[in-house]
Amino acid sequence: METTIDSLLLGFSVAFQPGILLYAFLGCLTGTMVGMLTGIGPLAGISILLPVTFGLDATRAIVMLAGIYYGSQYGGSTTSILMRIPGEAASVMTCIDGYAMAQKGRAGAALCIAAVGSFIAGTFGVIVLTVVAPPLGQFALSFGPPEYTALLILGLVFLAYMSSTSLIRTLLMAGVGLMIGCIGIDVMTGHFRYAFDIPELGDGIGIVPVAVGLFGLGEILSTPSHTVTAKVTSPRLAELLPNRKEWRDSAMPIARGTVLGFIVGIVPGSAHIISSFLSYALEKRVSKHPEEFGKGAIAGVAGPESANNAASTGAFVPMLALGIPTGPVTAVLMAALLIHGVPPGPTLVNDHPDVFWGFIASMYVGNLMLLALNLPMVSVFVNVLRIPYSYLYPLIIMFCIIGVYEVNHSIVDVWIMLIMGLVGYLLRKFDFDPAPLVLGRAAGHIGDHFYDEAQGLARQARRGRVGRSLIALRRGPDAVTPRAIRGLRAWCGNHNLAEIGGVCPVGHTSDFVCLPV
Amino acid sequence: MTASPDGEHVGRRMILRRDHIAGGAFAVASALVLIMSGDLPFGTLASPGAGMMPKLLLVLLIGFGAILIVRAGGSPPLAEIEWNDIRHAATVIGLSAVATAVYTIIGFVLSMSLLMFVLLYFVERRMLWRAAVVSVGVTVGSYLLFNTLLKSPLPPMPFWF
Repeated sequence: METTIDSLLLGFSVAFQPGILLYAFLGCLTGTMVGMLTGIGPLAGISILLPVTFGLDATRAIVMLAGIYYGSQYGGSTTSILMRIPGEAASVMTCIDGYAMAQKGRAGAALCIAAVGSFIAGTFGVIVLTVVAPPLGQFALSFGPPEYTALLILGLVFLAYMSSTSLIRTLLMAGVGLMIGCIGIDVMTGHFRYAFDIPELGDGIGIVPVAVGLFGLGEILSTPSHTVTAKVTSPRLAELLPNRKEWRDSAMPIARGTVLGFIVGIVPGSAHIISSFLSYALEKRVSKHPEEFGKGAIAGVAGPESANNAASTGAFVPMLALGIPTGPVTAVLMAALLIHGVPPGPTLVNDHPDVFWGFIASMYVGNLMLLALNLPMVSVFVNVLRIPYSYLYPLIIMFCIIGVYEVNHSIVDVWIMLIMGLVGYLLRKFDFDPAPLVLGRAAGHIGDHFYDEAQGLARQARRGRVGRSLIALRRGPDAVTPRAIRGLRAWCGNHNLAEIGGVCPVGHTSDFVCLPV
Repeated sequence: MTASPDGEHVGRRMILRRDHIAGGAFAVASALVLIMSGDLPFGTLASPGAGMMPKLLLVLLIGFGAILIVRAGGSPPLAEIEWNDIRHAATVIGLSAVATAVYTIIGFVLSMSLLMFVLLYFVERRMLWRAAVVSVGVTVGSYLLFNTLLKSPLPPMPFWF
């Protein structure tokens, strides 16, 4: 615990640097707007703005991008309550009772409860993340390819059950994503798979063109400008405070939504969307007055808004501790970290403590910023909606192209994005959720590699009966446990491992390097 | 000819439904890719080849596509899918494709200005001067932001920017 507090203090010393604070603020501000605007969700927002972070260091980049993610959960509630327009999918449930409250003249109270609920849920999520992620990361250091393969399969099974569409549709999407992940050179055998003599495809299809195409361009293609009409209304500052009954009625829904959202957030799937649906259903079930739901029940705002914020924080646990994405947004954030040379996963806490703890500390600060931004500034933010969509979507297309091109400076990526945009449009027409496809793409790329490695280790284990030790050694010095050394010693005879430090001289295996310990 | 409870005629005439097309498309596409994958070695379970994972996946996708077709009865008829946005989609994707084709040839500023101008003036029917100012202003601004401030180069114009 003492170590955690020390580390957190290190994080705050990073997070309070003016540069980090500025990028946290920019992320939260952009996220709030992304959450409000129809046609651009957090995934597209993060992907499009990814190149903006290329000139930054890893901490600033991840702080800004994560700010967009959790900021969008705050922003989405504003348009849902005031205009019955969900800026992004997780705010759909807020439309029902939030807008009904606005019709009764209680828009300010609904906005305040949504913001306070989001703040409590977000802060709770960060506290649990602070406590859980480092030990989980330490535990995951003992994971090897077999464990990761099993974990990815478990993730895909969870995904199938937790998706917003039917089981078969989700599996189909995840399968297509896994197939896309197979494109490129097979690292174990060196074979080109489905590269069609296009050299750029040798490295595979990146997650950014897939995500931007499906969620950014795909949404624009299916949203003609004449269908987007927004009559902007904004509450006065004096109307923002809820009355005592509204506070009392929202306390338990916020608490339930927070816990439920965080748990759902850890599980693969479109967690922030599903958590808000589950929370709404839960509140309606436990309410003494379920008939009030749909007519302006404050619990119908407090629960879902808390849940989607807690879920977006919960999703960071497997990403930071295990290096496994649980949703398309965390998959893109992982790609962003990799672009900045910081591999997410168990080694992140030890190898890049400034990034890890700086990021966590910035989330405490970011949640406070969002509370301050979203309450008094709400009447300012809604003015963003006055920008006509006919001006907005050409701008989004341009940023989609910049965003995708800048990752690898490859025009092939832009073509892939266009194709994915078309695919995204068709998937929407045929009622498929593209989120499992992005997740499948992320899992496929690492899953295939882990599976092959696991099989290679299993072969070695059968021959030499030291598989577990080799698996531990293969992962690097941090993973070399006394048990692993004992296993290798038993296999190698009486060699002093400290003297080996290279390829095993007795040639028990040519595949593995015995690391110095 | 018999009638199902919801009034559909079963036997002689089958209503083409959304999931018939979706499932069929996935199954056919997966089968085609599977045929193309002939040169990839499958290997064995203990020693997987480069083709094992994709081939297993493709077989699964064909299976899932078939299940979707079999269970298509509950999905809405194909005719009920609204395609009123197809013109917008085709225009946007077509113009974006043209802009992408010339992106590295004529540079970022020219290609994106033209794309935005065509979308604003010809597609969205905005005023000429406003469309021109927004297109050029936003594009040049973005170019300066990325090239100068963020040091992340965008394709330059062959003669100026």
